[in-house]
Amino acid sequence: MTARNRELFALIPASLLVTAGFTAVFIQRNDLLSDLSLTYGLIFLCLCLAAHVVLRFTLPHADPYLFPLVAVLACFGLVMLYRLDEDFAREQAQWFVAGLIVFAATILALRKDHRVLERYRYSIALAGILLLLLPRLFAPVNGAYLSVDLGVITFQPAELAKIAIVIFLASYLRDTRQVLVVGARRIAGITFPPLKHLGPLLAVWGTAMVLLFVIQDLGSSLMFFGAFLALVYVATNRISFVLIGVGLFALGARVLYAIRPTIENRVDAWLHPFNDTLYQQQAGGSYQIAQSVFSQADGGLFGQGFGQATIQLGDNPPILPAAHTDAIYAVITNELGLLGACAVLLVYLLIIERGFKTAMLATDSFSKLLATGLTAVLALQVFVIVGGVTKLIPLTGVTLPFISYGGSSIVANFILLALLLLVSDRARREAQAR
Amino acid sequence: MLEPVSVGLKFAFLAVLYLFLLWVSRSALKDLRRGAFGGDGRSVDPRPAEHSADATGMHPASSLDVLSPDGDISPRLVVESVPGLQRGMAYDIGDGATLGRGDVEIQLEDPFASSRHASLTRQGGMLVIEDLGSTNGTYLNDELLRGPRPLHAGDLVRIGDSTFSYDDR
Repeated sequence: MTARNRELFALIPASLLVTAGFTAVFIQRNDLLSDLSLTYGLIFLCLCLAAHVVLRFTLPHADPYLFPLVAVLACFGLVMLYRLDEDFAREQAQWFVAGLIVFAATILALRKDHRVLERYRYSIALAGILLLLLPRLFAPVNGAYLSVDLGVITFQPAELAKIAIVIFLASYLRDTRQVLVVGARRIAGITFPPLKHLGPLLAVWGTAMVLLFVIQDLGSSLMFFGAFLALVYVATNRISFVLIGVGLFALGARVLYAIRPTIENRVDAWLHPFNDTLYQQQAGGSYQIAQSVFSQADGGLFGQGFGQATIQLGDNPPILPAAHTDAIYAVITNELGLLGACAVLLVYLLIIERGFKTAMLATDSFSKLLATGLTAVLALQVFVIVGGVTKLIPLTGVTLPFISYGGSSIVANFILLALLLLVSDRARREAQAR
Repeated sequence: MLEPVSVGLKFAFLAVLYLFLLWVSRSALKDLRRGAFGGDGRSVDPRPAEHSADATGMHPASSLDVLSPDGDISPRLVVESVPGLQRGMAYDIGDGATLGRGDVEIQLEDPFASSRHASLTRQGGMLVIEDLGSTNGTYLNDELLRGPRPLHAGDLVRIGDSTFSYDDR
């Protein structure tokens, strides 16, 4: 089977999942079987086929599994959102279509050579930083400066900024990585980068620290900084640079914890979610974490079934707040159980595996670093939100890629996927030619 | 009541999902068996021993062409085509040199060269070339030099109409 036929074949289970999921939700809701679910499954299949045709003509050698895996995630998102609220699902479906259009546009624009991005690296970096600073002009949501409320739509610039920053770092480190290593000095057993080139590196570390204080959100800062450290590690093969970075980040996080009460609240809520005062507290309490842990436990091994999770009773405050964004992973766990939740994580793991595989196959440094950075940033985003919902780390408001409700998240992650496929197409074409 | 149908659908959903994941991971496993680098079914030549520790698949930046410290290997710039010089002539660089039109170690009779055009410096075990803010730029392997870059044997350095190749044997 050629790569594209594999992709085509893999889209069939994805659309079957949409059909099965919607059918189950319909039954639960109306106690009737409806052929509408088949229609939804067909529409989903047609949309995926359209994207597949674009891939077939523009990137014939690209990795065959990435797109179907993402389609499965999108299917989870649509089914779960439909089950929560039909309006969410309708908007999400519109954003899904918009995401596919942007996906196709990115591929068409960069199909000759994605390395043209290197030429615009400083503009891209500037755009990324401006995007991150933008939410400062608006009111913070839960103490973090992450979203821009334009009245009609709420927009999360960090989603796009993560891609811009990865592109910049990949192109910057391509030029400097060797020099960073060559002049390195060993002091007390730790390798330090040469002073002359430490400047830019420190500037990036500094920017990350500033961003931490600007966004005031540990989760998304962890995402950016983690991707940066992953890139530095891959570029230089020096674990000491990563350790220095982790130390700096820990220091910055500690300072922020000391000066910002919102962060302190979040850490407290994370450490003691079942504490009575914190649980009852109106804003900044531990209600959400505690409830999401309860609902995951309620799911058991096989789950309660589609449409069975209790999200809201009457007009009371929701039992599981932010079920469509932050806590969607908890809803999936409740309805499909440990088995379903593991499947979602496996899908992400496989996407990450394909991403790193692409990085290994790529022959030029920029493509290698780009694929690594994009994969790392996606992986860290999943870690930050799933870790938050499962009470492994303090909960912060980033989206679960391709599943959570949110337009900017869907669109940005489709751009990320397009870039990965562009790198993959070139790498696999060259590997076949060898 | 359609309860059994609903439960059945849930398990059907999970079954399809896991079968799909099994299929994808089996193909991924096949890829891995073929060797970490080849996607084409042939294993790529084993890399030198000092490179094999590098799990990231990048050329390890730390072990590139390290010159021997006792100096029995001499870094040289060999003339490929330079106005006024014969092909095959070589400049010994030693610990470093500057290229340009002015009063520098390697003088170029090239109208496109700046007076102090590019510098070669020894950093640790290797030679690093850097453009000194020249008007027309320095090209390393036909790529415009931005920032300092280490030189490897066989690299082509071009300034204006002059081309050198780098050799360290």
